[in-house]
Parts: sequence; structure tokens; C-alpha cells
Amino acid sequence: MIERDVPDRIESFIRTAFDVNSMDVIFTRKVDLFEAGYIDSMGFAELIEFLQDQFAVALPDSVLLSDDFLNIDGMTRIISSLTRDGYAS
Amino acid sequence: MPAVSEDVEVIGALDANFAWTGRALCTDAQLAGDVAALNLLRGAAGGVHRRTNGGWRLFRDPLGINKLFWVQDDRGRITVASRPKRLVERGWPFETIRSLPRGTVVDLQNGYIDEHSIIPGQWSVTDPAGGETTLKESGRVIRDALDGYLAALSQAHPTSSVFVCLSGGLDSSGIAALAHQHFPELVAVSFDMARPDGRGSEDRLTARRLAGDLGMPLLEATVSEDELFEALDVVLVEGIDWRDFNVHAALVNAALARTIDRVALRPAGTTPLVLTGDLANEFLVDYQPERYRDATYYALPRLSGPALRSALVRGLDTCHREIGVFAAWGLSAVQPYAAATDTYLALPAAFLARDDRKERLCREVLGDLLPEYIFTRPKARAQVGGPEVAGGVLAACVDRGFDSAWLWDRFVQLHGIADPHVLHRFIRGGCYRSGIPGRHGTRS
Repeated sequence: MIERDVPDRIESFIRTAFDVNSMDVIFTRKVDLFEAGYIDSMGFAELIEFLQDQFAVALPDSVLLSDDFLNIDGMTRIISSLTRDGYAS
Repeated sequence: MPAVSEDVEVIGALDANFAWTGRALCTDAQLAGDVAALNLLRGAAGGVHRRTNGGWRLFRDPLGINKLFWVQDDRGRITVASRPKRLVERGWPFETIRSLPRGTVVDLQNGYIDEHSIIPGQWSVTDPAGGETTLKESGRVIRDALDGYLAALSQAHPTSSVFVCLSGGLDSSGIAALAHQHFPELVAVSFDMARPDGRGSEDRLTARRLAGDLGMPLLEATVSEDELFEALDVVLVEGIDWRDFNVHAALVNAALARTIDRVALRPAGTTPLVLTGDLANEFLVDYQPERYRDATYYALPRLSGPALRSALVRGLDTCHREIGVFAAWGLSAVQPYAAATDTYLALPAAFLARDDRKERLCREVLGDLLPEYIFTRPKARAQVGGPEVAGGVLAACVDRGFDSAWLWDRFVQLHGIADPHVLHRFIRGGCYRSGIPGRHGTRS
């Protein structure tokens, strides 16, 4: 996996799966995806599945509610950290 | 980050423990003892124990059935409660409250923190090996687990009044039929909403028929819309959730609980037990969205069977729609299917893809105990009331304006939450905002 590829793939998934308009200027890699309403609890379950499947990592409960898991940049840090630390599933 | 002190305060009653080792109910001594023994723990458990070595143990069961919330002050003192509201009433801001993660054992001693996960590794395997040939064996193992668990319960609670929630669906009917063998005085309880024509729902009619066939009395909880909504605030606080599906299910349970509370005998030192058929829907991915007035409710994530099962099971961490709500009326809800969790979670993806998966498995588990009409009746959901959506709890809530936004706002009000957006972080991905005392979150 090329690490810089991670945020691109996460962003692409979110844009596609949750119908984010390409002209939406609020949607960035730093926006709180939940507070801004891009992802609800159903979508969150889909996102978890995508991340685990695409990056071959197991996401422990503890990371799901971390503040890093609110935006794409944070998710990228988590995925990179888990793959480095051997949490690959 | 302050170290933890040796002070742990518990506010209010914690959820009752009905933990199971696979052979016996867990004793308090076991729950406070060797952590290795807790790896076998199944069923509802959670608590705070003073250990013989002077330290403290905080723990929750692997499914997260029982709830445990905590806060820690700037001197390291930990305060624990089974509902966030209890901590809010003590003056703790809602945003400082965290859950102990499900399946976690935390030992505190002399300022040191020892943390263990007791979630079995095999539960994270989304598509376990197996196939159709194992269904009979799986059914036998589940039946043995249910029998063993119910037998142990009856021994441990010989004088308690015992009730079983009976919707007439496969899950509750199975528990009713099996439990009746262990609790001869078992009373079935059926929910319905009052209708102008006095007609009972499909659920009610089936419950009446089955109770008669099984030879057990049926207590009928029939409520008007006004009576149903009397419990709304209790449901939001004790159910620890604002999401519509869980609130609707909790309202059903509140109506059942009030009815049981009126008639239950309480011999000294006992708490009435209420057996339910919960958990089987999560284990077998048996949920469907519902349509009402051109809107879809109870939507599910777009996931494959095994992934959806993982999401639903993870979601058991959040929502106390059964145990929390029954406890509000002084009743202990017990979910026997928890005793067979491992076998359910070992069912392979191919089996989960079958439309008749629940019927087939239930025939293996309970085929000798249930009449044929229970296996062949259409699926009905208690909140919906039957094949006809109108007349159920979902319709009543929508028509009264108790929609998702209203429930969110009311939860915010009841918990004195200053910034409502904090709820986005309180429940996410089926888990409560959690942490380990001494490691995460303190009052600043």
C-alpha cells in the first residue's frame, strides 16, 4: 500500500457511497463528517467495513470513537498507524 | 493525566449480572477473581468489585449487554453508574462521561491500571468455516446452551416470579416453550396497542394461541397511545438512546414492564425475572427496513450478511432498550440467547444468505417444542405491530411528531447537554464513547 494513496481512497469512497456533491466546498479532508451530516450511523458501519476490507486492518472499538476518526485526515493517520503496528487482519 | 486513586464510587444500582461460564452462572467471587476465568464469560455482566487484594475491578461482558459509565476527577477518583443520567445528576457534564468498553476488564491497584479484553478472538471472524452439514450440530449446541442456562437460572432464582415476553415470533416463542420446562409457573406477556374495534394484532392472536397450547397463562399489556408515550422520558434515560428503532422497541418493553410490575409477586429478597427472545435477530441478521407514509424507517447499512452481523452485534454495546427499561420498573430482564453466542457467531456466511435461515435453525433448536404455525407465520416486528404498519408504535410515534429530530432534542434536554453535537461522538459505529479510567478523559 502506498501511504499517500490512503486519503484518496477514503475520500473517493465517501464521495461515492454518500453522494457528496463534487461542488460541495464544505466537504474537505478535515471536516467533521458526522457533525456536518455526511455520514450517519448506518453510513459509519459501511465506512468501517470499507476501511477494514480495503486496507486489511482490524479496527478495534477503541479507535472508532477517537477524535481522529471524525475526518479523512484522522482516518488516514489511524489506518497508517494500524498497518505499521501490525493490526492488519 | 492523573493516576487513578483507590477511590471508586458507584452511584445507584448497577445492572444485574446473569453471566454464564458455559457450565454455570458466574459468582461474584469469579467475577472479581482470576481474569483468565472471565475469558469464558457470556451473558449480561458488568460491575465494580472490591478485590481481596485491596484493588478494584471494573468490567463489562463481551457483547456489552450491561452498561457501565464512568467519570474521573482531577484527583483520580472514579465515579461509576449504569446510566449517564445518574452522573449528570451528580453534576458531571455529559461530555465528560465515557463508557467502559464492552468486553473489558480493568484492574486498579496502587495507582496501576491493568486492562484485559475478554472478547473472544473468533468473534471477529466474519465468515467462519462451516456449512450446511453443521446446522444440525449447531442446533443441538444452541439447545444445550439454552437448556443449561435456563436450568441454572431456575436453580439460582427458585422463588422469583418469572415472566417471558411473547410476541408469537420464533425467537420469543422458542424461549417461552423452553423456559416453561424449567419454570413451571412461567407467565407469558404480550404487547399490543388498543384499537377502536378491540381487535388484537396478529402478534396478540398468535401469543394467545401459543400460550394456550403451551399451557401457560398470558398477561396482556394493551395500551393506548397516551399510555404508551407516558414512558417516553424513562425510555430515553434508561434506554440510553435516542435513535427511533431503539426508542420504539423500548416503548414496547416499557408497556410490558408496567403491566408485569402491577401483578408481579416479589417474595423477600427476590426480583422478578423477565425472559426475552432478544439477540437472535442480531445473530441471524433478521432485520428489515419498514415503510410508513412514504418514508423508510429502520434503514440498515448496505453490507453483506457477515459484515452486517458484525455491525449489528457491535451495536449491542449501545442501547439498553431491554435491560435498562425493565430495570426502571424493578424487573431483571434476561436474554438467554446470549448463552449460545459463540455458536450463533460461528454460523457461516452462506447460511446467513439464506432467506429461511431463522426458520431452519429454529427447527433444529426447538422443532420438538413449537407448533407448526409458529414456523410458518409471517415475520412481524413488535414496534410495527404486524403486517399492517398502521396501528403500531412506529406509526403512533410518527403521527404524534415523535420523530428522530424530536427524540434527539428530548435526549439532549433530559441529559442537560449544552452542545447537542456531542451526541455525534457519544454513539458512533454502534459503540458508546468509551475509555479506560486513568488513561482517557478526566474532568479538566
